[in-house]
Amino acid sequence: MATPEVARDDLVRLPASRTRSPWREIRALVARRVALGVVTLFLVTVVVFAATQVLPGNAAYAVLGHSATPQAISALEKEMGLDRSAVSQYWSWFSGLFQGDLGKSLANGEPVGSLIGPRLENSAFLVAVSGAIGTAIGVLLGLWAALRRDKPIDHVLSVTLLALTSLPEFVVGIVLVLVFASVLFHVLPAVAVLSPGQAPWDAPKLLILPTATLVIVTVPYLFRMVRAATIEALESEYVEMARLNGLSPLRVLVRHALPNAIAPTIQVIGLNFLYLAGGIVVVEFVFNYPGIGQGLVNAVSDRDIPIIQFTVLVLAAFYVFMNIVTDVIALLATPRRLFR
Amino acid sequence: METHLEDATPDGIDRQQFLKRASAGVLGAAALTGGLGADRAFAALTKAAAQPKRGGTLRCGFAGGSDTDTVDGDNVVNNMDFARVYQLYDGLVAYDENARVRLQLAEELTPNKNATSWTIRVKPGITFHNGKDLTADDVLFTLRRIVDPKKPLIGAPTLAFLDLKNAKKLDKRTCRIPCHAPFGSFVDTLPNYTYFIVPVGFNPKRPVGTGPFKFQSFTPGRQSTFVRNGDYWDGPPYLDKIVMTDFADEESQINALLAGQVDVINFLSAPSIASIKGGGANVNIAAGASLLQFTMRVDAKPFNDVRVRQAMRLIIDREEMRRIVFLGHGILGNDLFAYWDPVYDHSLPQRHQDIAKAKSLLKAAGQENLTIEFVTAPMGQGAVQMAQVLAQQAKKAGVNIKLRQLTVTNFFGPNYLKWVFSQDTWQYFPYFPMVAFSSLAKSPANETHFADPTYAKLYKQGLATVDAAKRKAIAHEMQRIDYEKGGYIIPFFPPTIDAYSKKVHGLREGKTGVPFNQHNYKKVWID
Repeated sequence: MATPEVARDDLVRLPASRTRSPWREIRALVARRVALGVVTLFLVTVVVFAATQVLPGNAAYAVLGHSATPQAISALEKEMGLDRSAVSQYWSWFSGLFQGDLGKSLANGEPVGSLIGPRLENSAFLVAVSGAIGTAIGVLLGLWAALRRDKPIDHVLSVTLLALTSLPEFVVGIVLVLVFASVLFHVLPAVAVLSPGQAPWDAPKLLILPTATLVIVTVPYLFRMVRAATIEALESEYVEMARLNGLSPLRVLVRHALPNAIAPTIQVIGLNFLYLAGGIVVVEFVFNYPGIGQGLVNAVSDRDIPIIQFTVLVLAAFYVFMNIVTDVIALLATPRRLFR
Repeated sequence: METHLEDATPDGIDRQQFLKRASAGVLGAAALTGGLGADRAFAALTKAAAQPKRGGTLRCGFAGGSDTDTVDGDNVVNNMDFARVYQLYDGLVAYDENARVRLQLAEELTPNKNATSWTIRVKPGITFHNGKDLTADDVLFTLRRIVDPKKPLIGAPTLAFLDLKNAKKLDKRTCRIPCHAPFGSFVDTLPNYTYFIVPVGFNPKRPVGTGPFKFQSFTPGRQSTFVRNGDYWDGPPYLDKIVMTDFADEESQINALLAGQVDVINFLSAPSIASIKGGGANVNIAAGASLLQFTMRVDAKPFNDVRVRQAMRLIIDREEMRRIVFLGHGILGNDLFAYWDPVYDHSLPQRHQDIAKAKSLLKAAGQENLTIEFVTAPMGQGAVQMAQVLAQQAKKAGVNIKLRQLTVTNFFGPNYLKWVFSQDTWQYFPYFPMVAFSSLAKSPANETHFADPTYAKLYKQGLATVDAAKRKAIAHEMQRIDYEKGGYIIPFFPPTIDAYSKKVHGLREGKTGVPFNQHNYKKVWID
């Protein structure tokens, strides 16, 4: 973690040439990163498509199942367009994208958009809620622990959270279910099954345990980063200088320590959201939640290429987007330039 | 129950008589409860009190589904499709609780003297969900739809015998179908899950059948809902609605049941029985006769030598495998299929493990210290565990089995039916349809590549025989060949284990391996 440069706004005035707005730099950064992001997305879809070609079997086998005959398989492969060359199949999917045609599921013929749309909405909501709650808890706990560093409560918190973060996600999820839903107590739902058409925000009770699982898994890392960054900021020379100058502890914390702790914290918050985007696969499995993770697992199992391609594209786009946003916010939060 | 308890009122009886009667009554009640056991007496009382209740929604949390889910009664693919189609449709015939084939929509289903023509007449007064009457036209439409050469459905190969082009409608409810060749096993073929009757002009997107429940909604891979058919020809069901949700994982099925979010769950593993019962739910352990057999290719080394096949069948300790994998549940097998078929030969001596004989057979075949690969996949509860136990048991005879585990999708991919030493799983089929399906040269699911000409000749004879006793004799001759020379090892028929909430009544077990007696919810009710 880079040591933030000293904020000298109260002490020294820099010449005007160094006070230009950061927005130009940010615009340039975003443009560059978006261009790279698009290239990344393209490469990702190519690699994933290549992977589906390597897997044994295809959607025709999945649809016909156990009772397939060779004639039925080849007839269905033709219908699905799986008898074309790999390049031709990829190109037809790719060019379809630009016309707004996401394709049809090979498993059941439904349009990809109508299958993935609701799942995406469900997962996005779960990620947003878990991310928000996890961020709030992680930051507040981290700040609190930093202010009480080396006191017993700080040690207890650190050790407990370290233990929790070493548990795999499905263990956390299953333990929560066994304790609160199916064995010890029966106060919360054991699975988070939404009916088709039911919005996740209309069934908040179902989301309690999945959200708790994701929060438990992501809070510890954020907590440790916030605590460490805050402690480092609190122990820096300029903070001591500010204290010696007679500023109140709260003002010291908020005006001088926090701004320097924010940048690394933003990075971690961003990383947490990225982790959540991938981690929901396990949570959706444990809780039978109809999200995009469950959709992807089903699609891979059924070799449903249009679904796989579009799901991966969406997830990769989210990764690229979050990376850009995180870097921009970190840039804005790093007080290297003057904003006045 | 002692009746004089009810008579005994303090008025009009003197104290002595009252005490005498009262104590006799108390003793009688004590005898009743003591004799039966307190909770069985309670159960007897509550059972007598439990009357079917109209209404309610049955929530099912079922495994076996995926995005390939369908509601087309003639194109069932995965295990959860069974659950759906049994609500929407009926067949001409159906399995009863004991896996016997019984008439359902058909009133008559009879062959001519040499099984070269079949007459089908449907029962009167049966309507589809759209109000249309069931007629012979619908039967012919269904059969033709299945074998349509432009888009043959799953059940097409087994109907190849029917000459549907020359089928004739005799009257509103009757039709006659000639056959290209004698087809004596037509009745036994029909209760298969791929021959439900649909109306003329059937549209899979708006499925209509004659079944006890009507279609309401369907999202593949997620959920489907069905509502009560008040005009069901066999008496309307008690339930108002059934909701079936796809579950990918047994753990979440069990948790959902114990948390009260679903009422019935299916396809569970034996080790889960104790925790489900402990959690306050009921478990059905159906002694089904679905297959989970080992397969040996009779045309590949080393199994092309019949002595090696026979040795393998003697290496297995069937009772031990059943105990380890299924905790002792399930029916012991004798390497023969179609256990519930009246033609099953129960007289053939039950095989047990015989390591000495197995070793001598292997030696005679020059295959001592054989090393061989076995391909397995989690195709059903206990499948992989069975393979693991097999590998352990085989060591005793000097056979070294190397296990190779694939995912289910990979297993049933392009290499399916090519594995030399492997497994497979099927629902229950009667004998002749199972032979057609698995043990003839052109069979669609011939894992063992069995192609014995004598066997095939006997099969043809059996198809042309209408007399039940003569067919049974032929079947017994064929089973002798299965027993001596076949490529299957059928150590037992695995149990079908399902579970349900205590507030659900009327569920039966069934014997075909399809949960809840072929997902029969017609007489099920909820407290």
